[in-house]
Amino acid sequence: MMTQYLDLLMTDYTLQIITLGTAVLGALCGMLGSFAVLRKQSLLGDAISHASLPGIAIVFLVLGVKDNNGLLLGALLSGLVSAVFIKGIISKTHLKSDTALGIVLSTFFGFGMLLLTYIQKLPNANQSGLEKYLFGQAATLLASDVWLMSSIAGIALLIVLLFWKEFKIVLFDADYTTTLGFHVKFIDTLMTSFIVIAIVMGLQTVGVVLMSAMLLAPAAAARQWTNSLSIMVFLAGIFGAVSGILGTAISASANNLSTGPVIVLVATFFVMISFVFSPIRGLLFKQIKLWKNRNDLKLMKTLMFMYNIVEDHDNISHPHKIQLLNNFQGYTKKSLKSLQAEELILLEKDSWSLTEKGFQVAKNLYTQQS
Amino acid sequence: MSNAQIEIQLILSLVAVACALPGVFLVLRKMALISDAISHSILPGIVVGFFITHDLASPLLILMATLTGVLTVVLVEYIQKTGLVKEDTAIGLVFPSLFSLGVILIARNAGDVHLDVDAVLLGEVAFAPFDRWMYNGMDMGPKSLWMMGGILTMTITLLSLFYKELKVATFDAGLAASLGFAPMAIHYGLMTVSSVTTVGAFDAIGAILVVAFMIVPAACVYLLTNNLKKLLIFSSLLGIFASISGYWLAHAMDTSIAGTIATVLGLIFFLVYLFAPNRGYISQWYKEKQQKTEVALLVFLLHLANHEDEMERNSNHLQEHINWSHQLARKVLKLANQNNMIEIENEIISLTPKGLEFTEQAISYITDNKNSELEGIKQNYFLFRG
Repeated sequence: MMTQYLDLLMTDYTLQIITLGTAVLGALCGMLGSFAVLRKQSLLGDAISHASLPGIAIVFLVLGVKDNNGLLLGALLSGLVSAVFIKGIISKTHLKSDTALGIVLSTFFGFGMLLLTYIQKLPNANQSGLEKYLFGQAATLLASDVWLMSSIAGIALLIVLLFWKEFKIVLFDADYTTTLGFHVKFIDTLMTSFIVIAIVMGLQTVGVVLMSAMLLAPAAAARQWTNSLSIMVFLAGIFGAVSGILGTAISASANNLSTGPVIVLVATFFVMISFVFSPIRGLLFKQIKLWKNRNDLKLMKTLMFMYNIVEDHDNISHPHKIQLLNNFQGYTKKSLKSLQAEELILLEKDSWSLTEKGFQVAKNLYTQQS
Repeated sequence: MSNAQIEIQLILSLVAVACALPGVFLVLRKMALISDAISHSILPGIVVGFFITHDLASPLLILMATLTGVLTVVLVEYIQKTGLVKEDTAIGLVFPSLFSLGVILIARNAGDVHLDVDAVLLGEVAFAPFDRWMYNGMDMGPKSLWMMGGILTMTITLLSLFYKELKVATFDAGLAASLGFAPMAIHYGLMTVSSVTTVGAFDAIGAILVVAFMIVPAACVYLLTNNLKKLLIFSSLLGIFASISGYWLAHAMDTSIAGTIATVLGLIFFLVYLFAPNRGYISQWYKEKQQKTEVALLVFLLHLANHEDEMERNSNHLQEHINWSHQLARKVLKLANQNNMIEIENEIISLTPKGLEFTEQAISYITDNKNSELEGIKQNYFLFRG
């Protein structure tokens, strides 16, 4: 199936365009999504993408065009307006950000629905092109769309590089940035606008409903592997692009698999892998560390027990019977062997003796802490 | 009004109240977006349930979808607990993946299932009266009317049984735990009720607009009152009002009923947001403006009290000393004069006894209380506000 797909990719122009498009989109979303995730604005994307619907409908209604770029401009404006509303509600009232997002998301989307159904019933309107924004149709991507996406991604990359220092410092300490004399409001607006742009670019491919996951998932996955912002942004871009390519490949090689949901699931798969397997932060690593700590504790307990027996003797390395340890339940042959491997004790047939090193370690076990 | 129209309005009103009640608690507990997550992620539950039952109103389907909703909450909380990502990211990861799963399930089985993603997401209440419950050949009314009625009855029963527990757990989870109220049980109870309501309502109004029905009425009323009972009652009434007016508006414009109701709710929220006394945009804006002038006044009075030197108190030099714009300086001077805080003689400004008394009291209040809101003192001394 793999070679079949590759053959198809080599020959089928449409598939090439779609693959390229989803890859660029994934990279763009991953890159800009990193900022959204770090700013704890993950769900802003969800609200804005839903809120872009009325913009699309209004442009269609007023200008009567189905031209893709015009509709995207409408989505962009409507997304920006919704962002302003969200900010206004949070800053002027005591309603919290989750409520503000929920209100804007649902009422804007509802208004979009109203407009869409209104358009549907206009006598000469052919609105079949509008539905695709709801769930996305990667298959409708044209070469010109991919060009637009690529140039936007290029501009976004340029701006991110240009304002790298400002973005970074605002992310980590906005108050401190203000005291340094940076124009935080401007940087903030710039960042939010770019998130809106990324969302709008993705509407056609993955749709209003799933767009937020495109933004979040690659960034959330990348976050697990590094603490450095530059590496995270880079990794998120890679994850996003790979999700796009793989998602398109999977949906192209099977029937009835819409591209948007598959891409989202692939990205989610990356997140799961990252959650489990990433070093240091990952769940697996943490579990192994837990087991290791537990094991160490057991060994040290055994050593301590031996120390208590040996303490009163003149010769600390005098051998003792292993049976003597039976009062203490926590030892096994394996644990004794690993103690020997660390040269803390010496084993001889059925007896053991503490080494000088073992004696010192046990002696310092408690005193070290205080 | 035809019979069907009355039935639709009845269903909408039931949905509005059933959503508004848990919605109030979601807003108060800062979990408004959980409703968004649940409304999306019930899709795979609905799909699997529909494969089995082929009936959108069957109890098994509702049960399965509700379980998916609760599963969403559990997953979100599990991811949150690992500390790998923040809470909002956890929500944003869980529901799109479950939703995608649902979309793919539908697409893969499109031949066998007459279930549309559009139908689940957007709903259509206009068809609700056609799906009737026949019992022994007798027409008992639309199925969804019975279903929503049942869900609402359950919600109200639970609410009246656990009102006190919910209230305490919402406002002080720590206190609730120490009183032995099991905040976790209350939390999951609320989540289950929200899931059931979402599942029951999606058929009529669509999953996305359930969010509007849950959050917007509560948010509107929350801008007007802090009283929990009033919140519950007025959110429900507001929901009913929006549903019925939205229905007729949609009827007149021939548009999506649910979309129109959400738009009406949005407009109502916008009006409340602008005009709510004390908490609305305009009153906040006015208050901020007032605060600004009054703080400036206090600074000005302090300056006067601190400087015996006549040079410092010459009205022509003040502008340079405090570095104010001409406009602000004039406004402050006028306000001080109106309130008899200062007197001007030969362009030399000095405090009146009243002005001096006010300044001293204000300073000692601020230093004692570390709080610059001098409402009480201002009330005593000001004839005119900033």
